[in-house]
Amino acid sequence: MTNILGYSYWILLLPLLGFAVNALVLGNRFPRAAGIVSTLLTGGAAVLTGILVFGSFGTNPQAQVLWEFPFLRFSETFAASMGMLFDPLSAMMLFVVTVISTLVHIYSLEYMKHDPSSGRFFAFLSLFTFAMLGLVVATNLFQMFFFWELVGISSYLLIGFWYQKPSAVSASKQAFILTRFADSFFLLGIVLVSYIVGSFDFATINSLSLADFSNSFIQLGIAEFSKAQGLAIGALFIFIGGWGKSALFPMHIWLPNAMEGPTPVSSIIHSATMVVAGVYLVARLFPFFMLHENILQLILILGIVTALFAAVIACTQTDIKRILAYSTLSQIGYMMFALGALGYTASVFHVFTHAFFKCMLFLVAGAVIHQVHSNYLSSMGGLRKKMPWTYVCALIACLSISGIPPFSGFFSKEEIFLATLQNGHPVVFAFALLTSALTAFYMFRMFFLVFHGNARTQFEKPVKESLLMTLPIVILAIFTVISGFEKNIFAEYLVPPQVTLPHTGAHFPWIPFAATALSLAAIILAGIFYVSPRAQIAKALDEDNRSRFYKIVAHKFYFDEIYYAVVRQFLLGGIAAFLKWFDNVVIGSLVKAATFVFQKAGDAVRAADTGYLPFYLGTLIAGLLFWRFLGNLPL
Amino acid sequence: MNAFLIPDLLLLLTPFLVIAIRIFTRNSKPAFIFANLSFLVIFVFLNRLVLGDEPHIFFSTWKVDRFGVLMREILILGAFLGVWFAKDYFDHRADHKSKLTQMAEYIAALMFATFGGFAVLSATELLTLFLGLEIATVPMYALTAWNKTDPNGSEAGTKFILMGSVATAFELFGLSYLYGFAGTLELSLIADAVAQNMHSPLLWISVLFLICGIGFKLTLFPFYTWAPDVYDGAPTPTTAVLSVTSKLVAVIFLMVLIFGPFAAIHSELIPFLSLLAAITLFVGNLGALKQNRLRRFMAYSSISQAGYILIALIGPESLARGAVAYYFVVYTIANYLAFFIFGVIGRNRSETFESLRGLSKQSPVLAVALAVAAFSLAGIPPLAGFLGKFFLFYSAAEAKGYALILFAVLNNVIALYYYIQLIKAAWVDEPETEPEPLAITLRQKVVIIVLMIGTLTIGVLPFLNTNIFRIVG
Repeated sequence: MTNILGYSYWILLLPLLGFAVNALVLGNRFPRAAGIVSTLLTGGAAVLTGILVFGSFGTNPQAQVLWEFPFLRFSETFAASMGMLFDPLSAMMLFVVTVISTLVHIYSLEYMKHDPSSGRFFAFLSLFTFAMLGLVVATNLFQMFFFWELVGISSYLLIGFWYQKPSAVSASKQAFILTRFADSFFLLGIVLVSYIVGSFDFATINSLSLADFSNSFIQLGIAEFSKAQGLAIGALFIFIGGWGKSALFPMHIWLPNAMEGPTPVSSIIHSATMVVAGVYLVARLFPFFMLHENILQLILILGIVTALFAAVIACTQTDIKRILAYSTLSQIGYMMFALGALGYTASVFHVFTHAFFKCMLFLVAGAVIHQVHSNYLSSMGGLRKKMPWTYVCALIACLSISGIPPFSGFFSKEEIFLATLQNGHPVVFAFALLTSALTAFYMFRMFFLVFHGNARTQFEKPVKESLLMTLPIVILAIFTVISGFEKNIFAEYLVPPQVTLPHTGAHFPWIPFAATALSLAAIILAGIFYVSPRAQIAKALDEDNRSRFYKIVAHKFYFDEIYYAVVRQFLLGGIAAFLKWFDNVVIGSLVKAATFVFQKAGDAVRAADTGYLPFYLGTLIAGLLFWRFLGNLPL
Repeated sequence: MNAFLIPDLLLLLTPFLVIAIRIFTRNSKPAFIFANLSFLVIFVFLNRLVLGDEPHIFFSTWKVDRFGVLMREILILGAFLGVWFAKDYFDHRADHKSKLTQMAEYIAALMFATFGGFAVLSATELLTLFLGLEIATVPMYALTAWNKTDPNGSEAGTKFILMGSVATAFELFGLSYLYGFAGTLELSLIADAVAQNMHSPLLWISVLFLICGIGFKLTLFPFYTWAPDVYDGAPTPTTAVLSVTSKLVAVIFLMVLIFGPFAAIHSELIPFLSLLAAITLFVGNLGALKQNRLRRFMAYSSISQAGYILIALIGPESLARGAVAYYFVVYTIANYLAFFIFGVIGRNRSETFESLRGLSKQSPVLAVALAVAAFSLAGIPPLAGFLGKFFLFYSAAEAKGYALILFAVLNNVIALYYYIQLIKAAWVDEPETEPEPLAITLRQKVVIIVLMIGTLTIGVLPFLNTNIFRIVG
């Protein structure tokens, strides 16, 4: 136990090593070796994490800093550190990230086998893992931001991995720019909060009390605020960082478009890294956010809006990866509104269960795409017989996300429902229930259209399910089945530090029955629509002859178009055009003038460079006299 | 016997041994190896010295303190790189000049010059100080004219020694007035005298002459005129030594004076020093704008670097010491990195910007190393040069020299312009004719890689730097 604590930094270093070795040495020259090295090193990190996490079970649930060193000293008392925080929350995330990353690595060994630059792929995947691990063990805001940005940059590299495709390039840019936009607020928030508090440390920030800050004031440029208000603004800014990273409405558009990356990347982005970073941020600073009622309200509303909005869109999509992307948005919405409704444990529990089934769903999607070479439902159908293992696992995952007992999604969703109702948000609860039914509907719509019915395309020779791709899916299926039963562990350990949550004690024993019944009804409805003998599948997949409302939803409420309009007309056409003019005409001529002056002055200096010794000797005397009169000496 | 003297004595002894070894062996290889070993031994010895806050003083004329030991290590590092760099010029022709001969003597001369730096660091009275400076300077004249078949070298040597003599005369004149003013040679006693009578004309004439005299060696405006000619005419390894070792000794000399005898009038010196620094770095930057010969380019670049270093000296002693020490570590590494690359290029070509063309295709690693060196010299984050400049400015900011800092930062734009010319030549410009193949020895490869990694890591890992400030602060 003490040994592993001492060596805990290897959990971070092994993926970093995988990145370094692949980027510098193996790379695309030895893609196979690169994949194996990356996989083994990430697996090593997972094993170490396992030992660390299970070794510390039941011993000491308190947070401890395993190691920490000052990275950048701003002053004697104020330093930005790098360290490793180990508490139940980070332990859970470490476990999820390393396990899922390892499985995705294994899966990619097969999936990326024929890609000529798979060495680069594994290098970036390891970097991504390292970044996320660094983020979850962060002891302070500075470290979190550091790795937060590293997560951003590695996701940029991975989404744009197939940079030959213009759509991939624009998707990666979109993801990067949109999250960077949110991150700039995050950085402002960090500056503001650390300035007021005088520390980056989570422990310090989480144990603040606003009363200490309400009597001193701070000048924020436009007006003077009390420091307590300053903290509230800082908290809002910090949350905006998570808002963008977790792709909450209306900053969600980058996530479905990020599907342009290779499927394993989508799998890891949606389950263990990147999008849950925002949820993790709020959970990590939960006691701090609890000080600010309004921000919790905002989180609650944003969460439920995103959940419902994404679920509605998911019902109409025909690209299976997009369906899954919208389902992720919807589930992230669940986690967020649960936090907003003070259901900390429920939310974190949902992060845990969601990671496994969502990762699995994407791996299944990847396997299906591998089989039919298309993302669209119109070319699938009837895959049940060709891919029996994948079929069974997909069924488990779909049941789980739909909240059918005894799969994990049921337990975590039920916790969220309970927490929402207990803490007095009946409207949100109603919407959440509705979303849950929608979830069951669109997941089984996809499931039936992919695996049941008749094959809508014929292939000459079906690819057999390969071991490397099926094994991770099966392992994840096992996790999906068992992870729901960890409920008690979560209830015991994963409680927010330093705060006590209000406990009404009210029980609503009817919630699981109601939720399950609704979900089952939705599944049956999906069955009638898409799998029963009378189902009109051709009509269901037809996107053209539809009602107006359906079309609006299928076009994702035209959010992409709105974004493009704003960017093109307003930013590029208006502001950028003006700035371009200003740059060309005003700045350009200033630069030209400055260049001319300096070049002439340079010529003058070089003119003195005569090579004539008597002149040089003369400069010594002249220089002495020069400084005698111009050197400001009291002579 | 006191252990603190051992490195100094060793360095005094080894040049003689190097020459002696050369007499009894057939070629200069054993001498070269011996020299490297002695550098290593001296460096390790310096590193093992345990010093308290109080300096150790021997026979009331020789002082060893923590700052001195740190600077000695930097001097040894510079000399070591100088010897390694010079080796290639004794092995083969370069820059269309005949190859150098008498390597052992070259090494010995370089060691004497380094010892001169030690003496300046250890001085507690004016005689040692002056002797140290001369010991550091006289070998430079010989090193400049080392290539006896090259008329440019002889011309450079002649200019250097004639102008250097005038500058030495300035210094002696200033020192004699200082002696006349204080009636003693002891630096600490002079400091007391200065504190009591701060406005004596005798004192200020001495200040003017001393700073102008050292301004020659430090290439301050307008005493820098020799530098382009000498840097260009001298053999390339001598140019490297001049721009690092010689400059470092001059800076130390100035620091000994400013923070020693002139400590009481430091605040009154600030306007003078600020003007010197500002004009020097401006003129150096302007001069470097349109150069074609690399060594002449490096001469102007090092003139402006001298201006930057001078900025730190207007700050308080502890900060200035740390900033200068840190800057010289960074500057030594980046400068030698650039020179090593020029050495590789210049083996079969002339040392000009044209010879750099097509480098990115011939040897991408060299081209990257050149970019690292250029960016570090220009002070671009996250390279070491950025932090170096930052600390220089930080020291000046303590003395409220904000206008000067602003001016220096704006000047950095010009500096960036001409350093990027190096990168442009290597990466963008197409060669007119097919460039000659590059020949690179293992030694050059290793040094270039190590220096490049050094430049990258020192800047990226800020916590490595706190040590320097802990030592001198």
